Amino acid sequence: MKNKDRISYNSFFYIIFAPALLLVLFLTAYPLGTVLHDSFFRYDFITGAKDYIGFQNYIRIAGDELFQRSFRNTLVFTFFASVLEVFFGVLLAFLLYGSFKGKKAASLIIIFPMIISTMVICAVWQIFYHYEIGLFNYVLRNIGMQPVGWLTDQRIALYSIILVDIWQWTPFTFLIIQAGMSSIPYELFEAARIDGAKKTQIARTITLPILSTQILLVLMLRTLDTFRLFDKVYALTGGGPANSTQTLSFYIYREGFSFFNFGRASAASVITLFFVAFLAMFYLRRLLKEDD
Amino acid sequence: MHQFRLIIKRMLFWMILLSFLGLILIPIYWMLNTSLKNPREVISSVPTFFPHDPTLENYGKVFQAGIWRNFFNTVMVSFSATLISILLAFLASYALVRYRFPFSINKLFLIWVLAVRILPPIVLAVPLFNIFNAVGLINSLSGLVVAFQIYTLPYSIWIIYGFLKALPIEFEEAATLDGASPLRVLVSVVAPLVRTGVIATSIFALILAWNEFMFALLFVRTPRLLTLPVVISRYIGEYSTQWGELMAIGLLASLPILLFSNFVYRQLTEGFSMSLK
Repeated sequence: MKNKDRISYNSFFYIIFAPALLLVLFLTAYPLGTVLHDSFFRYDFITGAKDYIGFQNYIRIAGDELFQRSFRNTLVFTFFASVLEVFFGVLLAFLLYGSFKGKKAASLIIIFPMIISTMVICAVWQIFYHYEIGLFNYVLRNIGMQPVGWLTDQRIALYSIILVDIWQWTPFTFLIIQAGMSSIPYELFEAARIDGAKKTQIARTITLPILSTQILLVLMLRTLDTFRLFDKVYALTGGGPANSTQTLSFYIYREGFSFFNFGRASAASVITLFFVAFLAMFYLRRLLKEDD
Repeated sequence: MHQFRLIIKRMLFWMILLSFLGLILIPIYWMLNTSLKNPREVISSVPTFFPHDPTLENYGKVFQAGIWRNFFNTVMVSFSATLISILLAFLASYALVRYRFPFSINKLFLIWVLAVRILPPIVLAVPLFNIFNAVGLINSLSGLVVAFQIYTLPYSIWIIYGFLKALPIEFEEAATLDGASPLRVLVSVVAPLVRTGVIATSIFALILAWNEFMFALLFVRTPRLLTLPVVISRYIGEYSTQWGELMAIGLLASLPILLFSNFVYRQLTEGFSMSLK
């Protein structure tokens, strides 16, 4: 290649790469830098003055009962939602394994929840959970039990939100695990069956071990997604009752957008980011090990 | 005896499957059901499984309140966001697959993009709000299109990167030997070859953008500019909620996606089995 051609060849790739690179950096690198920087400052919203205060924001947050509560709630939500979603996803994938009439229609219906807007889902569940007109309490009353404050009882509200998340995202875990299942060669089952293995045995000793990578992968994706819980809390409970559904994302939102405590919001963001990175590393290490 | 056990098993299978499908369909049916009831029937403490006196009143009210405007906003924002993401992702992914940038930028960029997919978006919201405010992107639909790139761009880059990576280089080499410029190769050789993959990716991106809530809530305040998810959240938040109208909007917001669900399902399953390889 001639020198001039070489330059134009190189610049072509720089030019087509630049827009995405710049946009991604503008939307993420710069804000993240700001967050890290702001977490060491006290920010006066009215005068716009900034004071360097070291780790003060972090210390204040660590001692903040609401922050601790948010952290705990987030962990509870993440754990139960992600584990149960994966559990039901595996269950559904096993149920729909093999061919039967109507399989396609069934799979199609199963994906509905994951493609509908979270807000629409929250709206319907808000009616279900309604104390007076809700379907759930109607059923409870009919079988002679006391109605429950699904979103207003502080012992229950978080679990009610978990249930909505399970309804919405089990289809996703199902899809990925189903895709993993369909890649298992059929001969493997045939061979096991000829050897006289029972169905449950085959599931336990052949299918599940092969699926372990997919299960781990989907567990990671759900863990990281549930960890950012915001929409459902905003729509269903607003963090209440008595802060029982406060999550980290909601805490940051309130500090930043309601109280304009940018310093504290930033410090909470940094802590959250560290924890997310820790979670991601935890799973990735295992995933990479599985790959070998 | 054997025959008998087989029948029992079949019945059990269908019972379990149908109850799962029921659990999925009941909320969606409830939306339709409630949207066709009159306000008095909705707040009855004995929920009715069919509207006793079906009415389109709720839909009428919703349209009168100007829901078309919000529907149109959602369409504009999600389609523009998708278009931009797909275009930028296609160009960048091609560069990443076929060209080695210095300082292992290729690898670093892909890891960075994956990290963006993982981080809770609220973390970016506060500083982005201030930046957007400074450049006049708050309270505007174009601001939302830009903000949505946080979700749609990393996602599109990863998937399209996967498709391009799987592409054999021979076609491009042949075209280059025939004297085609890199741009020409990209447009008339590479683009047609990954068309289906790109379409699948745009479907996911479109759903992501169509349903996005957080940035739409935080970055737009004027009622005229709101997208459907935010309108719905406002209805939910009201003290005496207009359930019938709320359900009517919910159904209208879901209908475009549900109508295409067959297509979406096919793309999703293909997309996943691709990305798992």
